[in-house]
Amino acid sequence: MRRLFVGVLAAAGLSVVLLGVGGVIGQPTTPRAVPTAAPPVPALEAAIARDQQRLKDLPGDYTTWAALGAAYLEQARVSADPSYYPKSEGALQRSLSLRSADNAPALTGLGALANARHDFATALTYATKALAINSYSADAYAVLTDAHTQLGHAAEATDAVQHLLDLRPGLSALTRASYDLELHGQDDRAASLMRQALADAIDPADVAFCRYQLGELAFAHGDLPGALASFTAGLAADAGYLPLVQGRAKVYAAQGQFDRALADYSTVTSRMPTPAYLIEYATVLRAAGRTADADAQLQLAGAAQTIFTANGGLDDLGGAQLAIAQHEPADAVALATKEWQRRPFADVADTLAWALHLAGKDQEALVYAGKAQALGAHPAQYLYHQGAIEYALGQRDLARASLKTALATNPHFSPVDAPEAARLLTILGS
Amino acid sequence: MRITRSVLALLAVGGVALTALGPGTASASSHREAPLIAADPAVDNTDVYAFVSPERAGYVTFLANFIPFEEPNGGPNFYPFATDATYNINVDNDGDGKADAVFRYTFQTQDLRGNNTFLYNNGPVTSLDDKNLLFRQTYTLESSFNGGPFKVRATNMPVAPSRVGPASMPNYGALRKAATKTLPGGWATFAGQADDPFFLDLRAFDVLYGGDLTEVGQDTLAGYNVNNIALQVPFKDVALKGDAKRNPVIGVWSTTERNRVRISGASAPVGKDRVQVSRLGNPLVNELVVPAGLKDAFNSISPDKDASIPAVVKRVTDPELPKLIQGIYGLPAPATPRNDLVEIYLTGVTTKAGGPIKADLNSQLNNADVNPRRFQPAEELRLNLTVPVAAMPNRLGVLAGDLQGFPNGRRLTDDVVDISLQAVEGAAQTGKLVDALAAGDKVDVNDNMFGGSFPYVALPNVGAVNKGGGTGQGAAPAALPKAFSTTGNSNMTTTAVTVGSSAVAVALGALLYLGWWRRRAATR
Repeated sequence: MRRLFVGVLAAAGLSVVLLGVGGVIGQPTTPRAVPTAAPPVPALEAAIARDQQRLKDLPGDYTTWAALGAAYLEQARVSADPSYYPKSEGALQRSLSLRSADNAPALTGLGALANARHDFATALTYATKALAINSYSADAYAVLTDAHTQLGHAAEATDAVQHLLDLRPGLSALTRASYDLELHGQDDRAASLMRQALADAIDPADVAFCRYQLGELAFAHGDLPGALASFTAGLAADAGYLPLVQGRAKVYAAQGQFDRALADYSTVTSRMPTPAYLIEYATVLRAAGRTADADAQLQLAGAAQTIFTANGGLDDLGGAQLAIAQHEPADAVALATKEWQRRPFADVADTLAWALHLAGKDQEALVYAGKAQALGAHPAQYLYHQGAIEYALGQRDLARASLKTALATNPHFSPVDAPEAARLLTILGS
Repeated sequence: MRITRSVLALLAVGGVALTALGPGTASASSHREAPLIAADPAVDNTDVYAFVSPERAGYVTFLANFIPFEEPNGGPNFYPFATDATYNINVDNDGDGKADAVFRYTFQTQDLRGNNTFLYNNGPVTSLDDKNLLFRQTYTLESSFNGGPFKVRATNMPVAPSRVGPASMPNYGALRKAATKTLPGGWATFAGQADDPFFLDLRAFDVLYGGDLTEVGQDTLAGYNVNNIALQVPFKDVALKGDAKRNPVIGVWSTTERNRVRISGASAPVGKDRVQVSRLGNPLVNELVVPAGLKDAFNSISPDKDASIPAVVKRVTDPELPKLIQGIYGLPAPATPRNDLVEIYLTGVTTKAGGPIKADLNSQLNNADVNPRRFQPAEELRLNLTVPVAAMPNRLGVLAGDLQGFPNGRRLTDDVVDISLQAVEGAAQTGKLVDALAAGDKVDVNDNMFGGSFPYVALPNVGAVNKGGGTGQGAAPAALPKAFSTTGNSNMTTTAVTVGSSAVAVALGALLYLGWWRRRAATR
């Protein structure tokens, strides 16, 4: 990482220039859904205010400290504002110091916080401790589910989410069960459960989450109008939920409406400059022919990743994806391998496969392309990676089948990779 | 500090020591982060009431409330019932802890809003089918008796809407009236928004968290609304063998259930396969007895299993509250096991279980046709249907010699907090008044007047929540009734009697006795 770090500092001047550019191109020009009334007062904000007031009056109330910590964490998630993380941790630790024995809510909250920070192993430990105290805690099972899922413990994750469903088949269970089904390639059932979750959602941010996932599911199957409708409906409920703007940007990019797409990406990345969003922004800039701007956004992505890791954050998957975007395949392989050893999760396998391919190690790459799809999910991006690897290995029939399936699944899966898949298919012939 | 694009660039420019920020302040690339503490208030039971209808002889009324802390600050906030849940009122008339009569409410939504408006209504709503009302609910009422199949009693019944303000709903009383329905068999039914009828100061329980009892006197729930389900049926429909003369005692609790969802293997969820997500019988159960860690377990099980859950039982062999009060007020906590509490919460007040209270009031064991061998201690709100309606109900109920009040069922005017505080301090056993607690939570009446006829609950509040204690007459703390401060009273006795039930049941009784701001506080 040292090299990246130096690179960021060297790029400093460039960043300043970029800011000026961002200020110009950052003006949203896209039509927005205009709500006819203010959205309902978010229950989360009301809950936080109530908890804070109560704790002023009664600072010894450990259950409310734990509830406040959990509420801050939800606020971090829906507002994409990581400054709530330390607040959450402070409240949860306060709860634990007031009551160290049998404090399942505080342990559950700390587990959720660890998940949010990508420290899934620690999250697993906290969730397990909480469940040892209260085996009926749906929240603890939700944290356990998330940890197992991201750690690549597929069977344990499914088991945990079923426990969660058996205890409280509400929003938190349905959304997680939907994801589990999606990871197993059962997208129809996943969408059905997500619609059920949407019906249960009350808080605008929860509506937004469900609409976003439904939009993503539609997009994954090439249904651009369906995806756009879902993202738009989500924004009508909660205009501040950034992933919806990113989802809409993806649709615009797929439709070739680059101005709209780039305006949305500018909005998203100025508020939430994560490496993943910045890389995606750069990709669309590149597809629009704005290579220099794309490179600049990649520099920012590098800076964001460096800040995260220099401060103890752990996200080698993000690092690997950045290295891929920066044409550093050897770094990408190293980082993705480390992440894979930590958590054998489908996304990690796919990234590792692609990194290996770019590093010229296609035989190995093919193994990981297979692992990425082992649970039964075959997203277009994974299939494209597999097809390209098979092509590189001279497995023409297999490559043709994989690439065809990729484009049949979602012809718009990437503004850069989808045309490349089509190009390879042309070479391969029918 | 939030890492924004500009901060990020500045850091890069200035070569600022990047480690000045913890990892917590920067975002990783996102993974799928689903809602965790997503509120599910729509299925959250807050209170259950069961009382003999004062103005309609031979009929009993059940009220069950859901969705706490509804802010009546007008549109666009409104509060639907869940459409993928069932709301049940359960009645156990033979004492085995299982429901012999179940009244099941399920709801349907007509959402005419489309995707681009949050509005509940787009003009004045003067009737339940007014086209200006953009979001409407109806319900189906079914009943099952003695384990038989459910029979549909009513469909397409209108739900009284959330009261979103005087401009939108100029005559809400008319909407309430239109949503109050009478069915064949004399049943009356209602579902819709109402004033939260529970009156109390939640801070009465802050002793559990280091607070003190002197800072009370505000009705914490004044001004808030709830969603109410009300049902009135003849005695014969709920009494064992249809005979309320021979078998006058029933046990009542409400439950909410959601359809079970199976992620792998089995086929699509079937209507009959449900998960119980909330349960409520006696008031204050979660506050006073069920510790936080067991709240979830308690909500999941049916009453017949209460005495068989070791985790529930083990945790509280004696209640926490009296010990905390002992620490603050020097008031000795009553000796354990608390057999008096077992009677109130687990068996009903009866001489047939060997308990210390020498009265036969409201245990199913006193039903003539009950098989005592099948009797199961279980947490239920027990009601003797044949106790005459009190001409002047006393807010302290049974403890004040008004046998028609809590814990013999629960009326809207019963001051269950004060009753519970006195009872948990052993008022029934010692006969001594707990002076420090004489005023209880100092909230003796609800902020709104209750109605004289079904469904009795007050109309929903409008306007911002009044944190100053509601709009009702703030009655001065009533003096403690004589029955409380004298020994050997007709209903209460100091005689120490060992209850024949197991230590398990005793512990559970204590456990079940105390509890509920947690229920409320936990719901958001």
